[in-house]
Amino acid sequence: MTQKITIEPVTRIEGHAKVTIHMKDDGSVEHAYLHINEFRGFEKFCEGRPYFEMPMITPRICGICPVSHHLAAAKAADELQGSPAPRTANLLRELMHMGQVIQSHGMHFFELSGPDLLLGFDADPAIRNVIGLAHTAPEIALKAVGLRRFGQEIIRTLGGRRIHPNFAVAGGVNKALQASERETIRAGIDSAMEAALLGVSIMKDWAQRNMEDINKFAVLKSGYMSIVNSDNSLNLYDGDIRLVDNQGKQLEKFPGSNYLDIIAEHVENWSYLKFPYYKKMSFPEGVYRVGPLGRMNAVDFIGTPIANEEHKLFKALSGGKPVEQTLYFHYARLIEIVFCIERVRELLDDPDILSTDILNTKKDYKGEGVGILEAPRGTLIHHYKADDTGKLTSVNLIVATGHNNWAMSESVDSVAKTYIVGGEVKEGMLNRVEAAVRAHDPCLSCSTHAVGQMPIQIEVLNSDGEVTQTISRD
Amino acid sequence: MKTLFIGYGNPDRQDDGVAWHVLSGIAKKLGFETSDSWEDPLPSTSEIDFNFNLQLTPEIAEDLTAFDRICFVDAHTGKIPTNIQVVHISPEYQTSPFTHHLTPEMLLSMCASMYNKAPEAILISVRGYQFGFETELSSFTSSLVNEAVERAVGWLKKKNDLIYA
Repeated sequence: MTQKITIEPVTRIEGHAKVTIHMKDDGSVEHAYLHINEFRGFEKFCEGRPYFEMPMITPRICGICPVSHHLAAAKAADELQGSPAPRTANLLRELMHMGQVIQSHGMHFFELSGPDLLLGFDADPAIRNVIGLAHTAPEIALKAVGLRRFGQEIIRTLGGRRIHPNFAVAGGVNKALQASERETIRAGIDSAMEAALLGVSIMKDWAQRNMEDINKFAVLKSGYMSIVNSDNSLNLYDGDIRLVDNQGKQLEKFPGSNYLDIIAEHVENWSYLKFPYYKKMSFPEGVYRVGPLGRMNAVDFIGTPIANEEHKLFKALSGGKPVEQTLYFHYARLIEIVFCIERVRELLDDPDILSTDILNTKKDYKGEGVGILEAPRGTLIHHYKADDTGKLTSVNLIVATGHNNWAMSESVDSVAKTYIVGGEVKEGMLNRVEAAVRAHDPCLSCSTHAVGQMPIQIEVLNSDGEVTQTISRD
Repeated sequence: MKTLFIGYGNPDRQDDGVAWHVLSGIAKKLGFETSDSWEDPLPSTSEIDFNFNLQLTPEIAEDLTAFDRICFVDAHTGKIPTNIQVVHISPEYQTSPFTHHLTPEMLLSMCASMYNKAPEAILISVRGYQFGFETELSSFTSSLVNEAVERAVGWLKKKNDLIYA
């Protein structure tokens, strides 16, 4: 009798998702699906609002990566209003963005995925979490908390608070950086770098000991996408978008405002989230990955020295071709933390960083704007159209998690087929399936988390739809 | 003896943000001036501090070490049988489907594991009914705020009486 196993929601990702695993009579997996169940409707209820409110409205999409939406919205509003931000404003926005990526990536590696790596996929789920990590390796947990705090404090210093900052506005930012604030941030750089490099060494050590897992855990062929500088080096805040194929060959390099000419979206009836793909290729041939793995594969090099040395080692893993192993998302994420810390130092050293020329008040109203940046989880696109009074008539948000929808679904299917064999379904196997999703660090935007709101439920159903087994944990 | 009132939730999701209303009510009851916006800072003195967060995050563990006693305030969705529950809590491992959603017990556990500190703590849970995209509390949850405030202030005064008697 065939079975269907449901994992709902997937643990330790932001938002609501469900995994169903359909099993054959022989106990092997027929197919596994990742369903995105949540529909927030943000785009629709932004219509009718003044465009300049968007930097304050869109961070409400999520409490985890609000800065990315805040800055992408401001960039779209700059363009719509026809007010390019002054250089210092862009430096400060990028500084805040570095803080966001550091805290988000730090949280993900050490506190969301780290327990899997440091304590083991098969460890007791009661301790396979950040608290278990704090007990098992308190010195690592302390450094992890310090790293995240470093990023959060950059955001708070610039935006007035750690979550949902009030900083970027159409045409610039509303607060200059003070010299004392610059020194406070500077003082935290060395210990943040120490924590980041500790993470890199943990990851590389783990990879050496788990190469077999790495090479059979969701190894996928796809394209890769990232924002890059003109020399194809990494840029998380601004630049053109580069798309490379599964051999690393450039397919496209285009300004973000042209995204509709390059990207199309495929729809499946089992997920609310669409599946973006490269328009000139069909679906699924044109699928690509974004986020840390996508970026490390799409850029030629990194413009900061320590991260660039690590990027060379990363590229060497596959002889210069794209690295396809999903578990290397974690390595890529750590390289980016190193890059961001180095970039913080560069930004603070820039002679213009303390300038008070932070807002362009001249307007050349266009009525349409596209703002893009590399959010922690991948390329984020905000596209607004407004009428002559500034009221929004159209809002399109393509979030990083959407770009990776195909990759997450394929990863779930691949890992389920690899690890669930013989009909015996152990918790560690299910955790690996969840980890296939977690590697992409998806953000499905929950934002509501009252006590008792999000239990885990795993249902095993037979071919008649009857529940034969239920596993739940609160 | 330093006390922290710390609430968490999302005020953009109706009753999920009831903790801010409770914190604001406690502050007013104790004679502090407060803003009408959850985005403005809450009062902070050498004896009593107020802190509101959209969610509990790992770095808050370090902040907690500065306090001797802590009152957490959150919404609950009916899993708890009473509208308002006040319980003493201790450091405790708890599985959480979403690790970014730390519980107060987990934060206290991190306090103990990483900083060797174990502040005394209670958790006040207030029943929420509606979690839509609104900033106003539902009428029923709104009606519970005053009682939650009274119980928090009662806890504070009782503790002070014991200490300063």
